[in-house]
Formats: sequence, structure tokens, C-alpha cells
Amino acid sequence: MSEPDDLPAWTEPFRQLGRDRIMRPALLEGVSRAWALDGATGAGVQVAIIDSGVEGTHPRVAGRLMESHAVALTDDGAEVVPDPDGGDMFGHGTACAGIIVGLAPDVEIISIRVLGADLKGKGRAFVAALDWAIARRIGIVNLSLSSKSEQLYPVFHEIADEAYFSNVVLVSAANNVPGASYPSLFSSVISVAAHEEPEPRRLYYNPSPPVEFGAWGVDVPVAWLNGSETLATGNSFAAPHVAGIVALLRSKHPGMTPFEVKAVLTAIADNPRPRDGAPAS
Amino acid sequence: MADTGSPDHGTTAALRILRDAARRGAVAQRFVPDAERRLLQSIVDATVRLFDAEASSIALFERDPDRLHFAVAAGPQGQGVIGHAVPPTKGIVGYVFSTGEAMALSDVASDPRFDRAAAEKTGYVPRSIAAVPLVDGEEPVGVLQVLDKRDAPAFTLRDMELLGVFASQAAAAIAATRIQRELPALMRASIAALGDGDLDDAAIERLADDASADLDRTGEEPFWRLVAQVSRLRSLGAGELRLVTDILDVVAAHRPPARRR
Repeated sequence: MSEPDDLPAWTEPFRQLGRDRIMRPALLEGVSRAWALDGATGAGVQVAIIDSGVEGTHPRVAGRLMESHAVALTDDGAEVVPDPDGGDMFGHGTACAGIIVGLAPDVEIISIRVLGADLKGKGRAFVAALDWAIARRIGIVNLSLSSKSEQLYPVFHEIADEAYFSNVVLVSAANNVPGASYPSLFSSVISVAAHEEPEPRRLYYNPSPPVEFGAWGVDVPVAWLNGSETLATGNSFAAPHVAGIVALLRSKHPGMTPFEVKAVLTAIADNPRPRDGAPAS
Repeated sequence: MADTGSPDHGTTAALRILRDAARRGAVAQRFVPDAERRLLQSIVDATVRLFDAEASSIALFERDPDRLHFAVAAGPQGQGVIGHAVPPTKGIVGYVFSTGEAMALSDVASDPRFDRAAAEKTGYVPRSIAAVPLVDGEEPVGVLQVLDKRDAPAFTLRDMELLGVFASQAAAAIAATRIQRELPALMRASIAALGDGDLDDAAIERLADDASADLDRTGEEPFWRLVAQVSRLRSLGAGELRLVTDILDVVAAHRPPARRR
């Protein structure tokens, strides 16, 4: 079968064949994976999941769902309201929670459900959920959705900056559809595409943005609706792996700012390293 | 304009433009009837072949109530889904539509707790499913899904990217025919805007009906017969087309003098 030349290339650098392109010298040599993550459990770190809700009773969520909220649309906007029995509309939010808890077993999950309501207010709901999570200073926010709305570009830009200066790390799945999407493409956001090696902690850094990080996102065993399990593929299953790793990092090194987090992720990434004296590509 | 019964001069001119637009849209429809559906069908046909899949289908978003309506399908297990609709708040297709994020799941049939209700309605419960959004500009307009590759239990990243390319083809096809499809709604919106808030729904409806009144008469009128004939000419060979063109040239040159101005 012949393949078209215009395939979107978000995951290209993270594949075995394309990996020479992301060869990087170890610029922060003192920063090792052991220093960054060993012994960390995610304790004391909160992760907000802005998605379809989370099924708190799912075995993979392991009782770590601390709060459930939903966005209620009002006449002139949207507000975040408690939704303790909301559950998950689709299964996806529960899948994300399970991946994060699997990496960082002591993390605290806070669910903000934005999907499943009126589609016309989707953009507003998304903005309200992000605003709320940032105002609450929830340390890490996992995003599986993004918006292509040019109208919302300045709004998301402001939110991404607000998060950055509030020490809130936004981790967003890269959107595979052609064209820009926000806030996943903003420089302060950690954007993630999938690689296919079944290693939850394996991470690649791509020095040629927009998508900066690759994490496991192919045939990932995940939690789904009604306590079920499935195997899932997509960038939105890669992002929670990075959110989980960031939770470990911040539980061991509290107070690390978003740019320090990015620098450490880059330092501990599994990119091939050039031999001594070889130039960095 | 306060008197909705007799539109002012500017409004009359605007209505004439709308009437022309409706006429052109209707002519285009006769020339390539069902253009969108046929393009989408060819995309799911190609998807099934490329992936050697049990089924592939495209669901398009429709409003009132919000739903994803399966418009075309292909493959041995594809036909049952045509005509079905699912709410965008349910299932993998709904999630992919709502988030714009491509996704694949496998091993779904082996877990009885999995949400299979939507699949069961179509008479086929897949083992694996891949779904990608169709995005027209900023808005998702539908979802392309593929069920069960015959030679593999799951979908790869490469599969997802290829599906993305197919989805952008489908989205382009939808965008190309959108104006035509949305003409009635467009016309009502334009008339409402012209009325500057003074028109009620009934008045808008009356003006829209008036603007498209010509188009409801089928078949017999000379104009529509001509449109139908010209549409048929599309299947002719080059030699026959030359002949028809020559005949039309002769006919045009012999128009009655009274009509020439």
C-alpha cells in the first residue's frame, strides 16, 4: 500500500525510525531520573482532570478521586458546581484518572466534567473549568480537549499565562487534526503526543515544537465505564502519563515551577544521546 | 421596515439576490445530485479497503435534537448502522466529536461491563474501533469510524494518521457542499437580518417560501427540463459534446428578435 506524503507528523519523532532526529546532549547532567522521581508517590499533589467526569469507584482510580465537579452553563457564562455523584459520561476521564493514579498512587484527583452537557456551550465550559482549577491553584491540570476557535485564542492565551504564573502545570493532549488548537499549542503548556512503547514512564522530548513530549499512548490498558477495562490508543492517553510523571516530580520536589518542570522532563527524557564529541542534532 | 407585508425597495432587491442564490443552489443540486453523500461513500469504501476492515462509517452532526447521524457506511458489517443516530453525549463517536481528539479502543467486546448499547443497536459489536473527527474549519461536523481490522486486533499510530487524512478528505467534501445544504437556513437567517428584528417567524417563513417558490415546481417547466438535460450531457463523450455545443450555438443564434435585448 502506498502512503500519502502529507501525513500529519505529530508522532513521527517519537517512533523508532524517526528518533535520530531528536538526539539530544544531556544538558542538565546533574539531573537524573533517580534524583527526579525515585521514591516519589504523588503524595500532596493534586491533579485536575478536565474531561468527561471520573468514576470514583473504579478499581484503577483506587479511591484517589477526592472531588467531583461539573460546569453549569448560566445566561452570561458558566460556573463550576459540585457534582459528587456525576460519574463519567464516556469513560475517558476515568481512563485518564487510572493512568495518573497508576503512576502516582498517592495523588489526589479532582474531576471537573465539561463534556456531556450542551455542546453549544462547550468552549465556555472549558474556559470556566480552567479558570476554576487555576484559581484553586490545583498543581497539575490534565486536558484532553482543546479548541480550534480563533475567537477563544486570546482567552486561552490569557489562561495559559495565568496558569504559568500561578505555578499550575497544564498538560494537554496534542490534537491530530490539521490546524492550530488551543491551549495545547501555547509554549507554556506541556503538549503530548503518543509513542508506542509500553512503558508508562518512558518519555521523549521533541526539540522541534509544536508537540514537545511523547509518552505511551498505544494499546494502553485503561479503566472505562462501569468498572470495565479496555485498551486505548490516542494522544489523549499519552497526556495523563506525563501528568502522572509531573505529579511524581512535584511530590518529591514541591514548588517546582512550570518551566523547571519542563526543563527536568527534558533532562530525564529517554531521547538518544550523542556519543562524546558528536554534535547535537 | 415596520410593515412586513410590503418590503421596502432595498429589501426587495435583497430578496431578489436571495432568490437568485436559491435558484443557483437548486441548479447545482440537479447537476450533481447527492454530491456529498457520494463523496463520503467513496471515502468509507476506500477506508474499508485500505484497512481491510469489517466496517467503516461516517456520522454527521445534526441539530434539534443534537445527534450524530450515520449517513454512509461500507464493509461486510457496515450496513446496519446507516440511518441510526447516537447522541453526542454517548459512546466513542460522541466523545471524539465532542473533543475533536482521535481515539482507538480495542478488546472492547471481551469485557461485558463495557458500554455496548450503541453498538448492539446496529447488530454488530466490534472488538476494536478507531474514530477520528471531521473538522470543517473550527467546528467538528462529524466522525469517521472504522471497526475491526481483519488482520490485526488493534489500530496503530500509523492507522490513526492515515484515518486523519481520510477524515480531512471527508471534511473537505462536506465543506464544499455545505453552502448548498444550508441554503434554506441561510436564506431564513438573511431575511431575519434584513428585517432588523421586525420580522416574526411567520413573516420570515412567508418571504423564504416566496424566494424559493420557483424551485418547488418540478420537471415540466422548460427551465428545469433544460437543467436536467444539461446535467445528462455530463456523461457524453467529447465528440457528442461538440455536436451538442454546435446545435446550441445554432439555436442561440436563432432566438426570436423580440427576445434579443
